[in-house]
Amino acid sequence: MSLFLQYASSGVATGCTFALVATGFVAIYRVTRVVNFAQGVFAVTGGMAAFALLGHGVPHVLAEAAAVVVAAVAGLGVGLMAIGRRGTPPLASLIITLGIGIGSYALLILGFGDQPVSFDGLRGSAAIDGVSMPLQFALVVVVTAVTFAALTLFFNGTYLGRALTACSSNPHAARLVGIDIRRMGLVSFALGGALGGLAGVLLTPLQPVSFDSDVGIAINGFAAAVFGGILRPVTALAGALILGVAEALVAGYWRASFQSGVALVIMLGLMVWQATRRAGVEESPA
Amino acid sequence: MSRLRGRTARPTSPLAGEVARRAGPGVPTKSRWRGADFVGWGGGWAIGAAALGSLLLPVALDDFQLTIYVFIGLAAIVVAGLSLLMGFAGQVSLGQGAFYAIGAYAAALLAKLLSVPPLLALAAAPAAAAAVAVVVGLPLLRLRGHYLAFATLAFQLIVLSVIGEARGLTGGDTGLTGVPTLSAGPISLEGQYRAFVFAYITWLLLAAVLLLTRNLVRSRPGRALRALATSEPAALAAGVPVGRVKLQVFALSAAYAGLAGAVYAFFVSYIAPGSFPVLLSIEFLIMATVGGLGSISGSVVGAALVYLLVQLLTAVGTLPGLPLHAPAIFSYAVYGLVLVLILLLLPQGVVPAIQARLGTSRSVSAVEASA
Repeated sequence: MSLFLQYASSGVATGCTFALVATGFVAIYRVTRVVNFAQGVFAVTGGMAAFALLGHGVPHVLAEAAAVVVAAVAGLGVGLMAIGRRGTPPLASLIITLGIGIGSYALLILGFGDQPVSFDGLRGSAAIDGVSMPLQFALVVVVTAVTFAALTLFFNGTYLGRALTACSSNPHAARLVGIDIRRMGLVSFALGGALGGLAGVLLTPLQPVSFDSDVGIAINGFAAAVFGGILRPVTALAGALILGVAEALVAGYWRASFQSGVALVIMLGLMVWQATRRAGVEESPA
Repeated sequence: MSRLRGRTARPTSPLAGEVARRAGPGVPTKSRWRGADFVGWGGGWAIGAAALGSLLLPVALDDFQLTIYVFIGLAAIVVAGLSLLMGFAGQVSLGQGAFYAIGAYAAALLAKLLSVPPLLALAAAPAAAAAVAVVVGLPLLRLRGHYLAFATLAFQLIVLSVIGEARGLTGGDTGLTGVPTLSAGPISLEGQYRAFVFAYITWLLLAAVLLLTRNLVRSRPGRALRALATSEPAALAAGVPVGRVKLQVFALSAAYAGLAGAVYAFFVSYIAPGSFPVLLSIEFLIMATVGGLGSISGSVVGAALVYLLVQLLTAVGTLPGLPLHAPAIFSYAVYGLVLVLILLLLPQGVVPAIQARLGTSRSVSAVEASA
């Protein structure tokens, strides 16, 4: 039982980071209908930037916050390239973000080297019921919960948040009432970048991150986002927790090398199931 | 994003729509050699010159250059299939590397473990890849756009991890060594002229693949494909079995990749999961995009341009005085930059752009004006 709790708690922690990546996908997709392949890069950028800043003696919290800002700026940059040019079709934007993802490897190696990095997060562990749990797990869960609460407030309570939601539900009507869709798209990219960066900052102490870790992170985040049809953040959170715990249990009880395979198979099954339920012709992007 | 909402027949995929607009309605009617699908300037002369050039070129190349020549040919074979799949069926595949791997392992295992004659193994590899594509495609091709892109990427990751896990059969992550070389009866491909002969084999296979693709695009199934590229609902209404056609193109593109993978296995005689990274699939995608989706000659041009550019920069990156990871930085930067710039500035690809500039492609502007 204690072994189970150990696996499950580590699964919840990694699941939370998937949830943040997934929310980044959702934030960008809702407004722009672009699935951002570079989403994993934001996490890697955040993690590596935090590592570099800590290495330069910047204190904790400050370093992590700065790393999230760096990731948000990266998100804005990706957005400018992907949707900055008017009339770029979403599928072309998808391939552009793929290109940016590969191109960013060059910048990441140049800036942070090609070795995996990791840094100490919250040290120490608490013993609950005889099971020792690293405090970093608790930190990840708390930060994720706070972030989701803040996002809910932001989307429902602020003008900017409501404008973003308006763009996602009906871009044409949003434009009619004077919302600049392109600018909202860029805001959503910056938000997606920040969420990815936050995920990276929280994830790097749990598992080392290297410049090409982004594919694994993005696949997990996308798989979680698929649970909610890439539109609903809360369903994505639930999906992320299921994925995280399932992967941790598979790695713990079975074989570590099977864990990503399990996530991929769940994702494929879910997508195909969703596709068969959608009747007839899918709407083309408006 | 279309500004007008009321358009009746929207392209299923913007990229596919681009191709359909360019290819126009109907079939080429003028000369046999003068279609939108082959380099148009000078019609058959360009094709003849290109064929003659690629036949003569290996004579002038040393072994290292011949290796590059073989790799470009192999990439072009894969890209021809991917370009067909993306350009006409409007499906993005990030998993062509998986079919390349399946072809390579199928051929290598048949020839090494079962001692099947290499030529037979070479023929079986594309069949194996196509069979897997049919099985995988049945569920996956229900997905579209970014869903399919992620699904094919996931498929490749699963294939790689299965190969890595099946240690008894495939040698796991350490790889499979000692793949026998190509041989036909008593003639075995060894020794001094190995790379030279492989260059001819590769480019002959490439020529066959290009010819097959060209004929396919111009035949009745090809018209169905073009209809599919313009509008899936409209094609369905016109009686095109959309699902089946998509699956067939998917299988064909997988067969091309499997064929190239088999030649690769025989050529380098060592394969491991690391030989087929996700980056390989992305590389094929970049080549297809650069050459022009749906353009047959574009697949060769795209493969050659991207491969040579990366080779050139790798050579520059390994110059003395540069940091150890300079080649990696250069190649990643090139992949990223090339893909982004092409999509932003030349979305239809290099070859179609040249054709349009020279005015040899069939009335692009007229078709576009009427669209």
